[in-house]
Amino acid sequence: MDPALRQLLILRLRGGLRQRLLQLASVRGLLFSLAFGAIVWFLIASNSSAGAGLFGSAVLDRQAFGEQIMTFMPLSMLGLSLLTVVMTTGPTFHFSPNEINFLFTGPFRRRDLIVYKFGAYVAGVALTSAFITIIAPPQTGSALSVFMASLLTLVFVQLNSAVISMSGHALDGTRLAKVKWPVIALLGAVAAVAVVFAWAAPDRGIFDLLSEFRHSWLGTIVLIPYIVFAELFVATSISQLALWALIAVIINVALLRAAIILDERTTDRSLAENARLSNRWERIKQGGSFFATERTEVRSIRRAPIVGGLGPIAWRQALNALRNSFKIIIIFTGLAACIAPISLALGAPVTDAYTVMIIYVFFAFILPRNLVCDFRGDLSRMEIYKTLPIAPWRICAGQLVVQVLLAYVIALTIIASALVFENSVTTQVALALAAFALPLTLLIYAVENTVHLLFPIKLVAMGRADFEFLGRAIVEFIAKTIFVFAAMAASGAVGLVTFKMTGTTLVLPGFASWLTLTLIGFLTLVALQYAFRRFAVAETIE
Amino acid sequence: MIKVTNFSKQYKGFTAVKKLSFSVEPGQILGLLGPNGAGKTTTLRTLCGIIPPSSGSLLVAGHNVVEEPIAAKRNLGYIPDDPRLFDTMTVWEHLAFMAAAYRLADFEKDAEALLTSFELTHKRDTLVHNLSRGMRQKVAIACAFLHDPKVILFDEPLTGLDPQGIRGIQQAIRERAQAGAAIIISSHLLSLFENLCTHIMVLNLGECRRFGTMEDLLSEVGHSDSTSALEEVYFSITQAQEQTSETAAA
Repeated sequence: MDPALRQLLILRLRGGLRQRLLQLASVRGLLFSLAFGAIVWFLIASNSSAGAGLFGSAVLDRQAFGEQIMTFMPLSMLGLSLLTVVMTTGPTFHFSPNEINFLFTGPFRRRDLIVYKFGAYVAGVALTSAFITIIAPPQTGSALSVFMASLLTLVFVQLNSAVISMSGHALDGTRLAKVKWPVIALLGAVAAVAVVFAWAAPDRGIFDLLSEFRHSWLGTIVLIPYIVFAELFVATSISQLALWALIAVIINVALLRAAIILDERTTDRSLAENARLSNRWERIKQGGSFFATERTEVRSIRRAPIVGGLGPIAWRQALNALRNSFKIIIIFTGLAACIAPISLALGAPVTDAYTVMIIYVFFAFILPRNLVCDFRGDLSRMEIYKTLPIAPWRICAGQLVVQVLLAYVIALTIIASALVFENSVTTQVALALAAFALPLTLLIYAVENTVHLLFPIKLVAMGRADFEFLGRAIVEFIAKTIFVFAAMAASGAVGLVTFKMTGTTLVLPGFASWLTLTLIGFLTLVALQYAFRRFAVAETIE
Repeated sequence: MIKVTNFSKQYKGFTAVKKLSFSVEPGQILGLLGPNGAGKTTTLRTLCGIIPPSSGSLLVAGHNVVEEPIAAKRNLGYIPDDPRLFDTMTVWEHLAFMAAAYRLADFEKDAEALLTSFELTHKRDTLVHNLSRGMRQKVAIACAFLHDPKVILFDEPLTGLDPQGIRGIQQAIRERAQAGAAIIISSHLLSLFENLCTHIMVLNLGECRRFGTMEDLLSEVGHSDSTSALEEVYFSITQAQEQTSETAAA
């Protein structure tokens, strides 16, 4: 690597470290970092404790765990590679606009820039691997093997994706590029046939078919490069680890070499991709989605509904969802539909407490972090809302309508999925769950937005080791969960009291319980209105 | 139309604006002049309800911005220095959004006229994040003009505009004032004040240092060229303040 680039890399790493230390210098940064540390400690303690830890009774012994890794890890990595092929553009080496302005115009060879970028990536991946090593379950193997395996695998994933997408760019406009979609269609058809076969066959599930493919001679040939990385994770001795690590390093070096060669042929495309990715990141920083539409023009909708001032706000968020988050909605709805069949296949029905906890985390933590169609994505546009002649409560309600309805659709999908696949979920239970899901969703997003307006902060982490951001995300989630559980407890208590008073039927207690939850949801909306009024753009936005 | 009395704004112990009083009548264009941190943007943001005042009274078209915010905002149009538009909406949809927010039943004709006057007709279906900064500025101004406000506040209105755009915006501001709107412009461009403003207020460190008509200022300094006069007034006030601060520190 060029000495100047090496120095830049060191300076940037040092700058990142300094930024983290500065975070610790503030009380808030220190508290959130401590919270993050506490959660990590909890994960370590859960993993190291004997018997059922965080992973409950579903934990496997080392041999079974190793078999699972050897079977499914290569398949997952192949799936990831195919996904990179299907996506028209993939994660090549991304240079930020300031890197392009300073480095591309500097006296550096292109290959030096690629190596510099690769070096930065390896530094980041080393940190991620250290984190994986800390939280990895004990049956995974020694700390050294987990670290080496994670590091080399993550580097491989990045290089593999880069080479695949660069090959795609290099082949653009050639005859081979035309083969891409028919091949994808063929593979899709094979996958569909396999799913239908697994569905129809009473004694074979989709995982059985995947396992059979993995252990067939064809599967072994197709998956050879990926199997190397699975072997790294299950290596039982230092000599085994060294052997597989050496092969993995050779594969990664070959891929890096291929990336450098391919990059020379795709410089123009690479620049365009960099600009596109930079725009996306800028959009994400302002609350947008990575998958937002990249079209320049769309057919305008002529009029917005008024609905007493609530209409235009909800309409704006509906357009935002349609053009910014449509793919996210589709992905999450698909995931929601798969929850019941997957949990059933893994032997943990949706009524199991552990599965319920996962569903809650999916619905109340992962979904809100990705689907942003409310105030959280509009902090940079608060000036507009503040100057509108619309009452604050209408603005707040308008902001929540679309987000709550979309999340509710995903909740309904989970319920429908459970109704179809889970025998213990009857139609009455599903209807009751559907009725309670709406006020619960309102409550979750009203709390989420209130907290966000009271303590506004960036939506994306500043790099891998932004412990303050991670700590804050976890603290927010815990606070929100306490509030939501308290509201559910209050709602349940009202239902119980009503049942004691009225006696036989569950309809009236259920209604009283639902009404209480709905009322708490609307009361939280009042808190949101207070937070909106209190939000002073120049004083609080970061 | 705009009446500000004893307005002060404090941020955590720092006084951004101190006991400011002025008024702007229909047809008048007031230019706010002052160095960075003088309190110009704070004054505009408070007038349009983005931030609350610490004390004092601010009336827009006879409505107090704190007690009757909705009524005040109905009569107000604000164009910030860096317009943050909704990146998933087209130019036309911004106008449709503003029409619904201000409850305008028939806005299409006025919206078309605004698109034509700001040369945005061919961009009506463009998503705004694909527009240049100058274009986005024009969209923000069109949105602010749509409900025909009686009070218009501009914060650095010419940033990012090409010469043609500058001429167009200046013309639009003049026409709005002639139609009876009270206008405040905050800018560092002295030539803009020379071309447009009927009144000038010089702010420094949150306080009003000079307030009067353009003619008053010209006669006071004795210049025939208004830009030179403004420049002289500006530097005499800000430099005098710096000297006072240095003396106090010594």
